[in-house]
Amino acid sequence: MSQTFANRPIIKSLSFENLTFCYDSGSTIFEEVNFDFPMDNFAWIRSHHKGSGRATLLQIMAGLAPINSGKYLINEENVSEMSFEKFLPYRLSIGYSFGMGGLLHNKTLLENLTLPLLYHKLCSPEEAETRVNSYMQEMGILRYKDQRPSGVQGSVRKIACLLRPILINPQILLLDDPSLGLGQDMILKYFDLIQGLRQQGLAKHIFISTYDEKLMSLIEYREIFIDQRQLFSSDQGSEKKVVHL
Amino acid sequence: MQAVWAQIDGIGKIVTTNVAYTVRLLLMVYVSIRATFFNQSQGLRTVFSVVSSQIYFTGWQAMPLITVLALASGGIVILQSAANLNLVGGAQMLGHILVAIVVRELGPLLTALVVVARSGTAVASEVGNMRANHEIEALESMGINPLSYIVFPRILGGVVSVVCLSIYFVLISLLGGFIITKLIHDMPFNFYVDSLARAVAFEDVWLFLLKNSFSGMIIFVVSCYQGLSVKKSPTEVPVVTTQAVVKSIIYVIVFNLSVTILFYLHQLSKMGVI
Repeated sequence: MSQTFANRPIIKSLSFENLTFCYDSGSTIFEEVNFDFPMDNFAWIRSHHKGSGRATLLQIMAGLAPINSGKYLINEENVSEMSFEKFLPYRLSIGYSFGMGGLLHNKTLLENLTLPLLYHKLCSPEEAETRVNSYMQEMGILRYKDQRPSGVQGSVRKIACLLRPILINPQILLLDDPSLGLGQDMILKYFDLIQGLRQQGLAKHIFISTYDEKLMSLIEYREIFIDQRQLFSSDQGSEKKVVHL
Repeated sequence: MQAVWAQIDGIGKIVTTNVAYTVRLLLMVYVSIRATFFNQSQGLRTVFSVVSSQIYFTGWQAMPLITVLALASGGIVILQSAANLNLVGGAQMLGHILVAIVVRELGPLLTALVVVARSGTAVASEVGNMRANHEIEALESMGINPLSYIVFPRILGGVVSVVCLSIYFVLISLLGGFIITKLIHDMPFNFYVDSLARAVAFEDVWLFLLKNSFSGMIIFVVSCYQGLSVKKSPTEVPVVTTQAVVKSIIYVIVFNLSVTILFYLHQLSKMGVI
């Protein structure tokens, strides 16, 4: 196991302090946001309309989208100005699943899924393959393991994309549209896997961005609402929301 | 007068844009080298697997094209040089002319152009597509630095490939070209080899290695940079690929020309002319 992976910090808090994020086009997605993320549970990231920044919020949380100003604090430490190497221990504690894309097209599904395990020397190649095979078997995609992403159906790609972050046993799991292109049975199987991880003390903090109300009706969650370039938590009253508007 | 100032402004803008672009390229090289050597997770094995596949695609697969090009250009240069030198009675200068044209100029330049056309485009479009498909972000999310995993091995593989291809080009050009010439023109082999051996100097080896290694680096740095400059849409990929080709060719030619000028100035200063 690599030194960095072994030194992963225990994540206790996530927060934004006066955070502003704009696209290159100039449109502002978040403006002067102060927010403490609810921890130790599922959190549903919602908004009234598409394009309000749900996926961007997850990317900022994963450290994939550099912010324009303000602070992104993990355990009260500002990580927004950290170099790739300094942020690495935090990054390895965060699993991120893309809404669309994200698999390496010149590698097979098996190679895609074993890549983080082998790169960070978390286990031997044989152990990595066994571990990935068991997850793929559970999700019913084992027969596609030697296929490249372009050779399989979208749903198989999506499952592979959902499996990859949980293989490194993250503390935080960020899921962007997890049910997109998947049947209800598949997504439920996946959530069973996550529950299994949670029982082992992993994937403690899960943030889901989705419009799938049916899926969320099966989960106990707290709400994070994006409105008017601000974030609101479900336990925040409407009075506070008015202040931001 | 205003038109003159506008012209000067235009030139200034071009210069500053290109200087800024060059600085960004150098910064990317520095950061990718730093990321590779400071990365605790990435072993040399990971780097060398990408380097070896890059050498295979850039070096090995380009050999047929380089062979044809080297035979044709070598044959033409030898035939023309031998024919014209014989007319003026300077046949013993053949080696010097071949070294000056093939080793110092043609080899590095034609090899670089072939690599730009074959591999520069491939790398720019590959990296551009990776960017558009969120593959680069996926690597980052897995804690894999794209600069050490994608960029550095491609640059290293590219440099090795261009140097090896160029050596191969020169060998085929000088030996294969002679065989072709032999069919048309009567020239003793011993005379030819002796003439070449007398012409090659130690400085030629340095010049050759300098031109080729930097050309290789320029091509792959520019191609990776252009590929990484894709923001989101796959429609940007052909645009950045074209830009990678144009910029690589310009940078390679400017670099080769600068080195040649410096080399001849050095030669002249050694001779006491300047």
